[in-house]
Amino acid sequence: MTKKLFKDRDDFWRLICGIIAILGFLLIWHFGTNGTRLGEIMPGPIVILKSFFEAFTQKTAGYTIFGHTFWSLSRVLVGYSVACVLGISLGLLMGRYRLAEAIFRPFYEMIRPIPPIAWISLAILWFGLGETMAYFIIFLSAFNNITINVFMGTKSINQELVGCAKMLGANEAQVFRTVVIPATIPYIFAGMQIGISSSWAAVVAAEMVRSSKGLGFLIVSGMDINNISQIFVGILAIGIVGFLLATIMRGVEGKLCQWNVRGK
Amino acid sequence: MSVERERKIEAPVIECKAVHKKFLNLAGEEHVVIGDIDLQVKKNEFLVLFGPGQCGKTTMINLISGLLPATSGEITVNGKPVTGPGADRGVVYQTINLFPWLTTMGNVEYGPKIRGVGKEERQKKAQYYIDLVGLQGFEKAYPVKLSGGMKQRVGIARAYCNEPDVLLMDEPFGALDAQTRYMMQEEIEKIWQKEKRTVIFVTNNIEEALYLADRIVVLSNCPATIKAEYKIDLPRPRSYVDPEFLRLRKEITSIVDITK
Repeated sequence: MTKKLFKDRDDFWRLICGIIAILGFLLIWHFGTNGTRLGEIMPGPIVILKSFFEAFTQKTAGYTIFGHTFWSLSRVLVGYSVACVLGISLGLLMGRYRLAEAIFRPFYEMIRPIPPIAWISLAILWFGLGETMAYFIIFLSAFNNITINVFMGTKSINQELVGCAKMLGANEAQVFRTVVIPATIPYIFAGMQIGISSSWAAVVAAEMVRSSKGLGFLIVSGMDINNISQIFVGILAIGIVGFLLATIMRGVEGKLCQWNVRGK
Repeated sequence: MSVERERKIEAPVIECKAVHKKFLNLAGEEHVVIGDIDLQVKKNEFLVLFGPGQCGKTTMINLISGLLPATSGEITVNGKPVTGPGADRGVVYQTINLFPWLTTMGNVEYGPKIRGVGKEERQKKAQYYIDLVGLQGFEKAYPVKLSGGMKQRVGIARAYCNEPDVLLMDEPFGALDAQTRYMMQEEIEKIWQKEKRTVIFVTNNIEEALYLADRIVVLSNCPATIKAEYKIDLPRPRSYVDPEFLRLRKEITSIVDITK
């Protein structure tokens, strides 16, 4: 690769400072918990890292850390996918067509301010303790964010571009496909990014309430058996996966939205 | 004007009969923007609508393009009444309005593409017009990477590539800096000489009007009516310092100033 690793000296120093800060934090953590009273309720970083790597091979409640991550991710995948399809469609329709906005917006505005987690108890009563309950909660939390972003994006389309497409001969279906959708893509991605983060938060919450597998379960069972390391392992895995999901989404956006400054 | 040229431009392509446009302002009062305009534009004629700032020139373009309905009167293009937007009229906008998610090639081939023209054929045609406006080498660039003048070249190529019967240009160089503006005036002149089209060109810049027009229609201030018409027979390409050019410039400017 001929690309330079750092754009300028500032980038280099920023990286050095970041590394020093994190190392410093880990050192304080290590010595603060080593043989102190804090150490009784809070394991040191080495203990946690050790349990984290042990969880790669050792099973907790029948699954390794990968197994639990897989279960959580699979729940997110189902709920989030449905939310993407329905949220993008509804957002585009409400943004483009007044009739669709008049019909769906009141319902949507009623549901939107309710935190998805508030539905957990109802979801358990409706769908039982199975996977459907988790799908439902994840769906709601992603759907809210995706729909509002796509709706706002569709509303903010430069109407001159629509007129311009019509003058070049586009009919309504072609305007929708060649102007409305591409113009909304940056907003779709913004919604999907917020949606994936909120889904990931929702799956953990749903699993903490009722589940026998998944990262949320790992944390709650750690609490039940007073295994603080296990709780930290769960938190660490959630953080890493959440970070990876956000990074992947940004990468995809950058590829698809080269024309947009936001996508850079 | 030579006899041959006269014959070439005799059939009217655009016809406006008693066109009238009223808007309701926020207070609900009627506001007449266009007051009874009769206008005929012949085939391959370069007509310039010239008038002061807010006199309704853009409204006139919007009426002919069909984006706004006229309050009364009739507009026909090649004998067909204008009822809405359509590909028989190409527009070049002051705000340029390129599709930012499409490259130069994508923008220029947009019209033929939605009409279902095959990829090879439409890209060949688009390439011809991209070359014509001098943008070879920038086919794959997104608009965000192009300068103002280059963007407007894409806008012109896009309008041309759709092969409309008439081209409507609404102050296309209004957003460009003075230097680029002169350059683009010369450029559009050359393009039009090479690819003759029926053009209505709107401007509030008298030099631009005199440099480009076969005929200048001077509009009065709101409501817009036709104040005067000038047939410009100066040989092309014109010089900004030709004595006749300067005389016409002085004469037309004085008319507009009195109207205001």
